[in-house]
Amino acid sequence: MPHPQYPDTPASDGVPEVELRGVVKRFPGVLACDHVDLAVATGEVHALMGENGAGKSTLMSVLYGLQRPDAGTVLLRGTPHAFTSPLQAIDAGLGMVHQGFKLFPSLTVTENVVYGSEPRRRGLVDRAAARARVAELVERHSLHVPPDARVGDLPVGVQQRVEILKLLYRDARVLILDEPTAVLTPAEADRLLDVVRGLAAAGRTVLLVTHKLHEVMAVSDRVTVLRDGRVTARLDTAATDPAAIAEAMTGRAVDLDRTHPAGRPAATVLDVTGLTVAGPTRGAKPAVDDITLRVHAGEIVGIAGVAGNGQTELVEALAGLRPTAAGRVAVAGTEVASGGGKGASVAHRRRAGLAYVPEDRAEVGAARTAPLADNLALGFHRRAPLAGRGGLLRRAALRAHAAAVIERFGVKAASGAVPIGTLSGGNQQKAILGREITHDAPLLIVEQPTRGVDIGSIENIHARLVEYRDAGHGVLLVSAELSEVLALSDRVLVMYEGRVVADLPRGQADAATVGLAMAGGTADVPAQTRRATPTDARSGAGPADGGEAAAPAQASADTDGTDGTDSTDSTQESAGTQHASTPADAHSAAGLAGDGGAASGASPLSRPIDRGGDHD
Amino acid sequence: MTDLTDPTRDGGRSPLAAAAGIARRAVVSPVTVSIAAALLLGAVILAATGAAPLTAYQAILDSAFGSDGISDTLTKSIPIVGMAVALAIPLRAGLVNLGGDGQLVLGALAAAAVGLYSPFPAPVTVVCALLAGVVAGALWAALAAVLETVCGVPLLVSSLLLSYPAVSFVSYMVRFPLLQKGSGIPQSERLPDGVRLPEFAADGGLGTGVSIGILLIAAAAAVFAFVEARTAAGFELRMTGRGPRFAAYAGVDRPRLTLRLMSASGGLAGLVGAIVVLGFPYRLTDGALTTPGYTWTGLLAALLAAASPIGTVLAGFFFAALTVGGFGMEQETAVPQQLTQVLQALIILFLAVRTGVFAKGGRFRRRPAAPPPPTATAEDPAGDPADPAADPAPALGGR
Repeated sequence: MPHPQYPDTPASDGVPEVELRGVVKRFPGVLACDHVDLAVATGEVHALMGENGAGKSTLMSVLYGLQRPDAGTVLLRGTPHAFTSPLQAIDAGLGMVHQGFKLFPSLTVTENVVYGSEPRRRGLVDRAAARARVAELVERHSLHVPPDARVGDLPVGVQQRVEILKLLYRDARVLILDEPTAVLTPAEADRLLDVVRGLAAAGRTVLLVTHKLHEVMAVSDRVTVLRDGRVTARLDTAATDPAAIAEAMTGRAVDLDRTHPAGRPAATVLDVTGLTVAGPTRGAKPAVDDITLRVHAGEIVGIAGVAGNGQTELVEALAGLRPTAAGRVAVAGTEVASGGGKGASVAHRRRAGLAYVPEDRAEVGAARTAPLADNLALGFHRRAPLAGRGGLLRRAALRAHAAAVIERFGVKAASGAVPIGTLSGGNQQKAILGREITHDAPLLIVEQPTRGVDIGSIENIHARLVEYRDAGHGVLLVSAELSEVLALSDRVLVMYEGRVVADLPRGQADAATVGLAMAGGTADVPAQTRRATPTDARSGAGPADGGEAAAPAQASADTDGTDGTDSTDSTQESAGTQHASTPADAHSAAGLAGDGGAASGASPLSRPIDRGGDHD
Repeated sequence: MTDLTDPTRDGGRSPLAAAAGIARRAVVSPVTVSIAAALLLGAVILAATGAAPLTAYQAILDSAFGSDGISDTLTKSIPIVGMAVALAIPLRAGLVNLGGDGQLVLGALAAAAVGLYSPFPAPVTVVCALLAGVVAGALWAALAAVLETVCGVPLLVSSLLLSYPAVSFVSYMVRFPLLQKGSGIPQSERLPDGVRLPEFAADGGLGTGVSIGILLIAAAAAVFAFVEARTAAGFELRMTGRGPRFAAYAGVDRPRLTLRLMSASGGLAGLVGAIVVLGFPYRLTDGALTTPGYTWTGLLAALLAAASPIGTVLAGFFFAALTVGGFGMEQETAVPQQLTQVLQALIILFLAVRTGVFAKGGRFRRRPAAPPPPTATAEDPAGDPADPAADPAPALGGR
């Protein structure tokens, strides 16, 4: 992609674009930043790394005027600044994309971008000029954002690029991206990293705050690592390796490529046949379309897929939080849903043997303002030892229960009395996972277990899941992190547009094969109109694959060692086998067809346009 | 977490340190600050109108808690505290019952009807009248719950809209079928002799006007406090209030919980109506329950205390005292009693502003830094945005 030079880029004259000198920021009892120096050259992608709580965010708050440093100075191109508000920082050419986007979902991209500094003509907003300016920025930076689409209709990855557009529209010379890929799927994340590279090539400076190593390796020029508020390493990316950075972050050697021995599948603990879940609106295509799958005790079944392809709906339907349209679900031999409707209650399913770590940790997995102990107790409060006679709650037992989970799962918390919301993401997740594992249910459904979690905790959480599997439980793992699915799963299913399009045993699930299936199959099939009704598929594919779950995948066993085109074909075979009755199973692969097979191409972008229909 | 009754609070600390902690949190609690700020602004308003703020406040205190006033305050606190607790029950789980007026008047009507037409002896009739009030209020509130859980009408809407026909129906009943013969006032016949709640006697043998209904309200509040803090059902209620999606995820049956909480809430509201009818002047008068705004004052009290049981009782009592004090102040200083309503509104406004500021301006949606938990929690209770009334009890007690 050619990127025209940004017109007023000054020559690199050795003065850093952004420099922080000796920044100290103290919160009561904590030294969040301890004499931190940071220098970022113009046109550089600079990664700021560190685990949760290392001081990255505080440092960025100081730079952006959200926090006043106790000591130290902020210099932009050699000029000291003391911002007291983000507005001053924005005027000085800084721009920040926060983790939670600040967009109006009901407004268009253009309206969101120009909001606050609209071009005017005779006192009125000049919509034509606004649109033209936004379209020009989209074009120049190859952002692939439709200027007239409603933001609410766009996938998260595109919304994030709208945030970046806002900064570019305000002429930010320095873009601070705070954990930008935390909410993105692999394809979206790759797309974002392309954008970041393009911005740097166009002369902008990018400060990437992250704790994901592969992103740093892929995109950054230099890396600054923080630990406990101090800089522990300054590295040139080209001259370092992930292990060195991980060690600087954690202070110890971390095994990044840990592999786990395979599990030994036994009895079926989850049996799903022809499960269909309605789409968001009447007449929309089903969110979950005729899915049949099994999870056995002693195995981890991973579901890979770009977010928004029905994984969330599938899991909610399994957990009893969403009604189904058709199909049957049995948990450890107990039928909990059949023939549509609400099915058994959540409580009934849990009694049948289902535990669940939800994707939305803050809202669904926990009550943030409630004490950790209460969060750990809910679900156990109706039975001994927490429940005493006459429905009374035994407080001592509740405290003991909390202490036991905290101890066993290494949750770092002062006591069970602190609100769970004050813990770091990793510790919250350890607590929630600990609670669900303590149920000792035959089936554990885990959704995005390590999203927003630091490296140390990821290791721990993965080890716990494998341990749980080895203790004879079945685990259904749903994750947008492909590497996580591949590292943990004994079997990998790929979901695309609500269907399972690949079912691969551990040996055949490599990144290339799964990645292609995630993007919807292959460039060889032209985009066609989708089948109108899901029912014909149910009659064919459902029973065909009811016997041995892994069977369809065996047909495409020769994926390894072939080149890109061949592996594309065999993935198509695998998908075709799965849905033998539907030869024209159209994966609306328009994006891929035009893009030569780049999984990270336009496919995430093309979806909202299909869906929303308001792109001109 | 912020309840006094919380089982896990201050687990490992010495009693002295715990007491110091509670005292510190009480002083910096948003409730204390809001009340202080409201009184200050109220003083400014008074001074601006030419009145002497301190004299006026003194008059409020004297009339509310003086030897003459205290019985008025207690009498007034029966409906206010009663409604506050009634509305706090669902509010604790995040459900807002806006239909208090309807449940209140239906309870009163049921009690009046039973009281007037019961064939039983007076003591039995009193008990029956109280029970009828409870049942009438509970059924009406349960209808609102069913409308939400079965028909999908939001509880806010269903409870509020059911209130209007109930109030109108009771008004009709009082003005026509139950109207006292020859009366120019829309009021029912007086209940037969003996069909009334006994009053506490003062030293000289005179009635104080405070009926033993206050004991019933206190018992209801105590039951609520106990269930809330100590039982599995109360735990589900609290956790639903903290995180409704979390509770649903963990298996709490929300429709059932809604139905139960609304029934309890409406039942207590109906009981309040029955108690009022069975007290002086021993009859149902149109508007006697709705005009003073017991429901809304009660709702404010419950909001101020974030529906914590003990806090709600204290806040309700505080508002009852303000109301009674307002009358006295008007008599003594010519400052209109409406000032006390201004004060009530100001307290709630300041509370909203303060928690709002803490939720947004003071700290951004994600904490700028992630200091380790111990420090973070030491900082938190003062500004915990989701629980505006941290430690309402010591806060109010300290006044």
